[in-house]
Amino acid sequence: MKALVIIYLTFMFISMYFMFFFFLVHIRNRTKLFEHPPKTKEKTISIIVPAYNEEECLEGTVRTVLDADYPIEKIFIVNDGSTDRTKEIAQKLAKEFPSKVILLDKPNSGKAPSINYALKHVKSELFAIVDADSYPDKDAISKMVGHFDDEKVGAVTSAILVKNRGKFIQNLQVMEYVIMAWTRKLLDFVGGVWATPGPLSIYRKSAVDKINGFDESNMTEDIEVAWHLVKEGYRVRMCLAAHTYTNVPVKIKGWLRQRIRWDIGGIQTIGKYKSSFLKNGMLGNFILPFFVMSMFIGLLGVGVFVTQGLRKIIGAFLLTGYSYMANTQVLSLQDVYFAPSVLNFIGGLLLVFGFIFTVLGLLCFQEGKFAREKFFTLLLYGTFYLTVYPIILVIAIYKMAIKDIKW
Amino acid sequence: MFESQKHVFWQALLATILIFGLGLLIGFALEDARTSKISNMYTKSEIDLIDMRAQSDVYGIGTLDCGKVVEENIKFADRIYEEAKLLDKYQEASKLSDEIILEHKKYDLLRTLVWTNSIKIKQTCNASYHNIVYLYNYRNLGVEERAKQQVFSKMLQDLKDRQANNIMLIPIAADSDLASLNILLGTFNITSFPTILIDEKTKIENVENVTDIEQHL
Repeated sequence: MKALVIIYLTFMFISMYFMFFFFLVHIRNRTKLFEHPPKTKEKTISIIVPAYNEEECLEGTVRTVLDADYPIEKIFIVNDGSTDRTKEIAQKLAKEFPSKVILLDKPNSGKAPSINYALKHVKSELFAIVDADSYPDKDAISKMVGHFDDEKVGAVTSAILVKNRGKFIQNLQVMEYVIMAWTRKLLDFVGGVWATPGPLSIYRKSAVDKINGFDESNMTEDIEVAWHLVKEGYRVRMCLAAHTYTNVPVKIKGWLRQRIRWDIGGIQTIGKYKSSFLKNGMLGNFILPFFVMSMFIGLLGVGVFVTQGLRKIIGAFLLTGYSYMANTQVLSLQDVYFAPSVLNFIGGLLLVFGFIFTVLGLLCFQEGKFAREKFFTLLLYGTFYLTVYPIILVIAIYKMAIKDIKW
Repeated sequence: MFESQKHVFWQALLATILIFGLGLLIGFALEDARTSKISNMYTKSEIDLIDMRAQSDVYGIGTLDCGKVVEENIKFADRIYEEAKLLDKYQEASKLSDEIILEHKKYDLLRTLVWTNSIKIKQTCNASYHNIVYLYNYRNLGVEERAKQQVFSKMLQDLKDRQANNIMLIPIAADSDLASLNILLGTFNITSFPTILIDEKTKIENVENVTDIEQHL
């Protein structure tokens, strides 16, 4: 068997394993997906809203949080040296709700330093981070708080969904965010939640104090903090019933910048916790290998795709040139004849499983209707959008190599 | 809660091994079926070739009907040329087993016999048709070599379409490691591939217009 065939088969085996893994977890827990533990006792909670140039969304976000059906102790708006009207809007809100909203003003230094700055002022048992462009449902916090009755729970994250819809790239992200929320919930059943995204995640203050706050050198503090908590023996949970709507990038450039940042942060986190491999419970035995394997599969895929793609392009170029010289047709019926191989067969099977996987995830939410209406978007999501991931990973690695790391 | 879920890991592994194994088995069965098909075609062709050679021997006792022998030879060569194209397609799709390579080798030997038989017939019958032997490689091809060979195949297909029974087209993989073929290659001093050998005299090693090739006939 050729080396390339072995690579393809390994790639397919690993992909199939993860797909079956998610299928099985879903089947075993399909009735429990939206369950959440009831609140048995009230816990005090504060909200941190880090904000950098968020004049368009900040007020809406703060008013949404104030409207929550769970009592909020304080809302700390951290103005991270904004150059627009963010500070002015925050001042207005602080004036309007003097007992609730507090403005913390500091020079620009990034999201993690802003959160750590706010943490010095937090006195409640729990605190939530809400990105300034995100809008939690009225009952989101109350659905999540019950998880903290378990003293081992260090953080709980919510289902992040897309608020701004309509454009093609946004519709693709609608599907992506639903699948991310669904798979994160499935990982929750095995204790494998690996991120507490910024739009809405709640933390136990004592747990975060124990790990000395958020890592200010990491590009994705929401991944790093989750890994750190798991390493320290805390559980990170996911509440699929708690929905938070966030604004996603509307332009390719912004989307690309966001994804590169996610990948760089992911790699930084792997680097930081590499010594935990096969140690520290779920972190070393599942989260880290799962994360590394996902990246490895992506890189392997892009490597094979680029190599084979280049061969095909150069081959087609040469074939056209030679055909011109010989005055023969470039493409004949003979070339179109296709004898499928075992790789085509298993690849086709994976594609079908992947499609079912995506539809299953979408159907768990009301987005099932959306998927039916946007069938073309669904097709493009499964065939094109996901294949771009590994390419972005390569760009992220390149940027890290040349030390071009910025938010 | 997490404890009750830990079985999912090995259950998923088991399901993957099962489905993936099934996929591989189907793949093996598919490749095996194709190899069997090629093997059957080869057996038929081999019988036909032996029959043709036997006919020559039988005619040798009496009077040789050159017209019939030439016609049957060209018809036979055309058939195994079509079979060769199918064999190449199947070989390209063969990922798990190397059995088809052996079939390819057997076919190359058969085609070498057709070539030597044709040389004899041309001499005996003073036939006017042309032997066009296409010698190519099929293992470890570079991008350029592959593109060049694809165009050579098309050039020869065009030539066959134009010349029909005026030429006998015999494609043979030169890297089949056959002693008889290697002797012939040495005899005609063929060292680079792909090469088109016309009537055991003219060698074409570069891409040419079909009309230019016709001028060598």
